Amino acid sequence: MNAQPATRTAPTAGPLAGAVAAEWTKLWSVRSTWWTLLSAVLLTAAAAGQLAIYAANDNTNDDPADDRGMVTLGSVVIGSLELTQYAVLAIGLLAVTAEFGTGTLRTTLRCTPSRGRVLLAKAAVTGAVTFGSGLLLGGVGALVAGAVLGEWGHAPLGGTVRDVLASAAYLALVGVLALGLGAVLRSAVLTVIVLIAVLMVVPLSLQEPGIAVLTRIADGFPGVAGGHFLAGDADPYPPVVGLLLLAGWAAAALAAGRVALRHRDA
Amino acid sequence: MITLRGLTKRFGPTTAVDDLTVDIAPGRVTGFLGPNGAGKSTTMRMILGLDRPTAGRALVDGRPYRELRHPLHTVGALLDAGAIHPARPGRAHLLATARSNGIDRRRVDEVLALVGLDDRAAAKPGRTLSLGMGQRLGIAGALLGDPPVLLFDEPVNGLDPDGVRWIRQLTRSLAAQGRTVLVSSHLMSEMQQTADHLVVIGRGRLIADAPTAEVIAGGSAAASVRVRGPQPAGLAELARRLAGDGGVVEADGPHGLTVTGLTVDRVGDLAYELGVALHELTPVAASLEQAFMALTDGSVEYAAAPADSPTTHHRIEAR
Repeated sequence: MNAQPATRTAPTAGPLAGAVAAEWTKLWSVRSTWWTLLSAVLLTAAAAGQLAIYAANDNTNDDPADDRGMVTLGSVVIGSLELTQYAVLAIGLLAVTAEFGTGTLRTTLRCTPSRGRVLLAKAAVTGAVTFGSGLLLGGVGALVAGAVLGEWGHAPLGGTVRDVLASAAYLALVGVLALGLGAVLRSAVLTVIVLIAVLMVVPLSLQEPGIAVLTRIADGFPGVAGGHFLAGDADPYPPVVGLLLLAGWAAAALAAGRVALRHRDA
Repeated sequence: MITLRGLTKRFGPTTAVDDLTVDIAPGRVTGFLGPNGAGKSTTMRMILGLDRPTAGRALVDGRPYRELRHPLHTVGALLDAGAIHPARPGRAHLLATARSNGIDRRRVDEVLALVGLDDRAAAKPGRTLSLGMGQRLGIAGALLGDPPVLLFDEPVNGLDPDGVRWIRQLTRSLAAQGRTVLVSSHLMSEMQQTADHLVVIGRGRLIADAPTAEVIAGGSAAASVRVRGPQPAGLAELARRLAGDGGVVEADGPHGLTVTGLTVDRVGDLAYELGVALHELTPVAASLEQAFMALTDGSVEYAAAPADSPTTHHRIEAR
């Protein structure tokens, strides 16, 4: 019997850094990521343009009751998120459901056997990319809104920057929420359905009757909490609580995803 | 070294792997044989930390896979070769794999060259790869970390004869370098040419764990002696004596016999004693196929038999 092969020098980078680098490489080596970003940009432009047209129209039509006067570009950017978030959260969603669908999760788990580390790496990449996308979309939305609103738009520097940063933070957290849910549910379609329910359908249904208790419950949902944070509402809780609630949902989804990955066979 | 201790996996009422205890030693190619559904892939997935054992342990160099920080430096594996994202180029797939374990990107080019994939093939998205190219890409991924332990699940699937020959040489040279090489296959003839040692399982249970030659010899029911001669009467007389000696004799036309259960020496001596002229006296080595069939038939019998009488197992193991 020959000698054992010489042991290679151990890699200097830690396993988490490696896992993050691998996720980054995987994300940008498929075209769907680029298509997702392009569609998010187009959706943002369309949604911001539409909202800006409504605002300008309210001010110029014959009905003085609906006049809103000057509108901030940031508020238009935030308004457009309701639609565009679904394009952006696809990045978080696909980071894990595509791996279930194609069987590449087995390769990923062989490279990084710690399930928590895999999810953490995916969350870091998803969060960074969705945050960056949020900044880009905020810029695009503000540009389109400014052009369409004309004299009815105004953009106080501090307020606009704050709104764009808040949008980016919202998208990053929703992206991570989508990632965690995807790890639990495995199917992309199922995850989208649950996300739409949690972000929109369920809280809307709870708010609809205008019953105080139900409205309070709705305030705990991630989409509503994120909405309060984005709008800078003081009621029912300060904006930072809204941010923390949304972050809590994202963290809980990740934790659930970790439990699911640890206990299920890949 | 791969160490399995009481490794068991149940899926609901089905026991896929049943109390498997075996060591896969370095420095030789170990063939992992069994009929479809015998539990080979499940065992490999448990070694790789993908499936959780219901009971028992699977250790690689003494540690559970899930505890390895940079596992690709310890274990390389080819599992289902199709497991590449349909839109991701093969090279990017390898690059992501390498990065996860801090492996230099130059190594990606090295393993691509090693498995014979050129730049054009490596740039193709996963969905356009042929089965054979997918296998080569998977093997490239297994070799990335230059690991001392290698697992190949059905590596020759989809390969052309050149590819099959290449895999045979590759696995042999990896073992010659002192690595632990476990190759699963249902192609017994291939294993006969490649494996030094065989681990045979059926219905999740260990049936044989022995050198390849011994497994073949162990299927002794199948090892036979071919006899041919010009005198039908003499051959008939020889057949009677052979049967009396405990051999099983089948007539092969008027001028031939096939004898099992006796050595070629004994058949030759008897023919000399009786003065029967022979034109041929040939020992026919049992093929692994025959040994395997004999073994796995036993596993089916065994499944219906009481749990403490693994007859086939004893036949191979008792030596």
